Amino acid sequence: MDEGLSVRDLTFRYGDVHIADDESFDVPRGGTLVVTGGNGVGKSTLLYLCAGLVAPHSGVVTLNGHVPVVDRPSHLVRKGVRIGFLFQQGGLVSNLNVLANVKLGLRYHADLFNLTDKAIDERAKEALDRVRIADSELYAMPAHLSFGTRKRAALARAIALQPNFVFLDDPDAGLDTMTAKIVGDILFGLRDDPEVTSVVCTNHRALIEAIGCSTKELCAGSLLAQTYRRVE
Amino acid sequence: MRPSLGFDPRTTAASRPSLLFSLGAWGLDALFGLGALARTLWVAVASLTAPGRAARAVAFRVMLAQLYFTGYEAILVVSAVALFLGATIIVQIQLLAPAIGGELLGQILVTVVLREVAPLGTAFLVAGRSGTAIATELGGMKADQEVLALASIGIDPPRYLVLPRITAVIVATLALMAYFIVVGIAGGYSVGWLVAAPSFDALRAGVARSLVWSDVPLYLVKGIGLGLIIGWFCCHFGLSVQTSPTEVPPKASRGVMLTLLFCVIYNAIVTTLFYAIVGSPVPV
Repeated sequence: MDEGLSVRDLTFRYGDVHIADDESFDVPRGGTLVVTGGNGVGKSTLLYLCAGLVAPHSGVVTLNGHVPVVDRPSHLVRKGVRIGFLFQQGGLVSNLNVLANVKLGLRYHADLFNLTDKAIDERAKEALDRVRIADSELYAMPAHLSFGTRKRAALARAIALQPNFVFLDDPDAGLDTMTAKIVGDILFGLRDDPEVTSVVCTNHRALIEAIGCSTKELCAGSLLAQTYRRVE
Repeated sequence: MRPSLGFDPRTTAASRPSLLFSLGAWGLDALFGLGALARTLWVAVASLTAPGRAARAVAFRVMLAQLYFTGYEAILVVSAVALFLGATIIVQIQLLAPAIGGELLGQILVTVVLREVAPLGTAFLVAGRSGTAIATELGGMKADQEVLALASIGIDPPRYLVLPRITAVIVATLALMAYFIVVGIAGGYSVGWLVAAPSFDALRAGVARSLVWSDVPLYLVKGIGLGLIIGWFCCHFGLSVQTSPTEVPPKASRGVMLTLLFCVIYNAIVTTLFYAIVGSPVPV
C-alpha cells in the first residue's frame, strides 16, 4: 500500500520491554487508528516509530510510500509528507515564545511552501486562533504557561503545517473540559478529513468511543484488534 | 538444610565477570562511543549539503545567536583572564631570572602567550562557559522531547541544533584567541614596562622578532581544531541524553571534562608538530 501509513515487520525493544515484535499493519489514507494499552507498554514509542522520529531495530515504516530518515526529517516534507505530532507534554521549544514555536516549522520550509513572512505570520496566528490561544499569550514563553495552554500551542504548531499525517499522544490527558473540547473538535475535524491519516494513542474510553474508529490494543509488543461503537 | 539466605554468596562471587571480560566490555563501549561521536560530526557536516534556502537562513540565525553568546558575551571574562595571565607570566619570569634581558622577555611572551596560553586559555574559557551551556541546553531539549518535536515538524536536528553551534564555537574561538593574544601581550607589555623599564625597546623588539609567518597557520590550526572539539563534543554529549532530566548534569559534566582533556592533547600534538617543522621556539 503506497498511500497512508504502512508498517511492515516492525521490531523495537527497550532492553527487555518489547514495544513491537514483528508487527505489521496499515492505516489507509484518510483513515484513523486508535491505539490503547496499559501504562508503559510503549504507546508513545510506537507513535514515534510510526512518525519516523525513532528508527526501528528492524522492519520498515512508510508514509505515503516514503521511508523516513531519522537524521533528516525534512526529506519527508520535500516528498509531500507533512506530519503533525502532538506530544504528551507538548514538546514546545523552551527558548522560543508561543508564536515563534508555531512559526518555526513554517519558516524552516518557507521556500518549499512558497510562504512570505506575512503569510507565515497569518498562518501561525490562524492556527493559534483555532486552539483559542489569546493574543496576550502569543509572546509568552512555554515555561510561563499552564499545561493546557502549552498543549493547545503544541497542537497549533502541529496543525499549522497543514499535515497529511497526524499523530496524537494522549491528546486530552490532563486537560480541563473546555480545553479537552477544543482539542477534541480539532481531532474530529482531522479524523473526518479524507486527506489526513491519523494515529491516536489514548486510554480515555469516552474519547475512543467518540473517535469511533479502528482501535487496537498494544500489549507486550503486539497490536490486538478491539472494536468500539462510534458515538455520534 | 534450608539456606538462611535467598541466594548462595559463593555462586554470586564466582559469577563476577573476569578481568578480560570487563576489559572487552570497556573496549566495546569505548568503540561504540567513538562511533557515535564520529557520527554526530558526520551527520552535521553532511547536513551542509541538504537542500532548502529557508532552512539555511533559519540555521544561520541560530548560528548568529550562538556566536553572540559564545563570542561577544565572553569578551569581558577573556579580557580579564588574558590581561592578568600575560602580566603574571612576565612577573614570574622577572622573579625567577631578574637579569633576563628585555628582548628575551618579549620572545618568551610571544612563545608562551601567543602559542600556548592563548589557545588553551581561550579553549578552557569557551568550553567552561559555552560548552557547558550547549551540553545542558541540548540535554534538556532532548529530555523534554523538544528534539523529537523539531523532527516532527520536519526540522533536521543536525542542521538546526548541531551545525550552527559547532560553526559558531569555531568562529568565536578564533576571534577570542586573537583577542586573548592582543590583550595578553598588552598585559605582559605593560607589566614588562613597569618592571623592566630601561629595556622596553628591547622588549618590543623581542616581541616583534619572535613573531613569524608560521604563527598564522599555527593560530588557525589551533583555533579551528579547539573550537571544533568544543562544539562537537558538547553537542554530542548533550544529545546523548535519553529521556530523563537527571541524565543532563552527568552527561554535560562528562562532555566538558572530555572536551578539556582532548583540547590539551590536541594542543600538545599541534605544538610538537609545529616545532618539529619550524624549529627552535626562540629564534637565535
